[in-house]
Amino acid sequence: MLEGLYSAAAGMAAQQERIDGIANDLANASTTGYKHVRIGFRDLLYSAQGNGAGPTVLAGAGSAAAIVGRGEEQGAMQDTGQPLDVAIEGRGWLQVRRPDGSLALTRAGNLRLDANGRLTTQDGDVLEPPIAVPKGTTPDQLSIAADGTVRAAGKAIGRIGLLDVPAPDGLQPLGANLFATTAASGPASATTTATLRQGALEASNVDVGDEMVQMIDAQRTFEMTSKAIQMQDQMLEVANQVKR
Amino acid sequence: MERGLYIAASGMVAEQMRQDQIANDLANASTPGYKADRVTQRSFGDLLLSSSTTGQVVGPLSLGAQANAMVTDLAPQPLRDTGEPLDLAIAGDGFFGVRTAQGVRYTRNGQFGASAQGTLVDQLGNEVLDRSGQAVKVNRDGTVDPKAVGVFALTSAAKQGDNLFTGTAAGAATGAVRAGALEGSGVDPARTMVDMIASFRAYEAGQKVIQTIDDSLHKTATQVASVNGSA
Repeated sequence: MLEGLYSAAAGMAAQQERIDGIANDLANASTTGYKHVRIGFRDLLYSAQGNGAGPTVLAGAGSAAAIVGRGEEQGAMQDTGQPLDVAIEGRGWLQVRRPDGSLALTRAGNLRLDANGRLTTQDGDVLEPPIAVPKGTTPDQLSIAADGTVRAAGKAIGRIGLLDVPAPDGLQPLGANLFATTAASGPASATTTATLRQGALEASNVDVGDEMVQMIDAQRTFEMTSKAIQMQDQMLEVANQVKR
Repeated sequence: MERGLYIAASGMVAEQMRQDQIANDLANASTPGYKADRVTQRSFGDLLLSSSTTGQVVGPLSLGAQANAMVTDLAPQPLRDTGEPLDLAIAGDGFFGVRTAQGVRYTRNGQFGASAQGTLVDQLGNEVLDRSGQAVKVNRDGTVDPKAVGVFALTSAAKQGDNLFTGTAAGAATGAVRAGALEGSGVDPARTMVDMIASFRAYEAGQKVIQTIDDSLHKTATQVASVNGSA
């Protein structure tokens, strides 16, 4: 009997995780280059009921949710007209070096120049390999080609490399739009299938309407599963009242 | 008479098992490719009652109910579009095959991903198989060719958990794989809620039977032999 209580509780926990994922997606509906999460569900182990029941009568242990990866579809291109904004078209990431020396990947292309004239992300992580703009160059004089070649007043000064990994689902999110490669994602290597577009940003690919529908579904399933717990509780009460 | 106590109790135990199964179904109302269960009940073997004084046959008496089998409804469920290239669904009959440490297992949940080796894997990292039993390759652009993914017919499918089924593969199935879609859960929420209430009331009825028999036994014990007819 108590199996049902716990399988229903596991189902509630799974829906809770799903709502957490949806909440994070919705909070990032305007985050440049953000990719929504894919939430996977699975049922859990089955065990024999025993107690005089037939051998095929099993008690399931409920369900579990996990983030299985991220939706990789392209976010909408938003023209900003800013010379230091670059949007990535196709599957690829910019590589940056973080202050602690480690490398990270990002799709947020709202770049800026730091005090040393290097191209950095909004948080100041320097692009890797670094691209230094000659002193006295204004951002308006910079042009960034589709293949990443950066020109200052017509003269090539470097190339923004785009990288890809075998399994983007395995990338570890670090926050601040950054991702780290892991054993599950495989190593990053240069890609030629993605291109850059200057003067535009890639919007978040969160579909607010779809997320809302998911949220309603999650909430109702959460509610139904809680009803199963109430029912199990009432049954225990009934069992207790067999002896008055 | 006290036989009735045990008959009622057996019915309550069977309803408990049904409730456990319903709770598991509801917990999996969002699990893609989940197949709903149903606990079937049957009566224990009948006993022929006869009068102990005259030997006259009174009639058969069942010894209560037993949850004798759990049936999984394997009917295909409607697909829903997700747009994710690695979400796969089988339209029609058949199962995906995955290679686990315990051998090949089967699933209808197509929420797959890519491994670092460029193969298609399920949520737990098990490789998804093509028709010939080899791992399916994910293209460089992150898509898979739905035709490359194997669809297996399965006999005596049984749930193992983690979306997996055990069973005997019996060649290719008729279902077609579709990318960018998932099969819905086989749980019908309305029907399951109604089943839950009905089962609860049956459980409650079992309790009332026990209480009634208990009352009768109490009267037997306290009033039958009382001189002035009161307890």
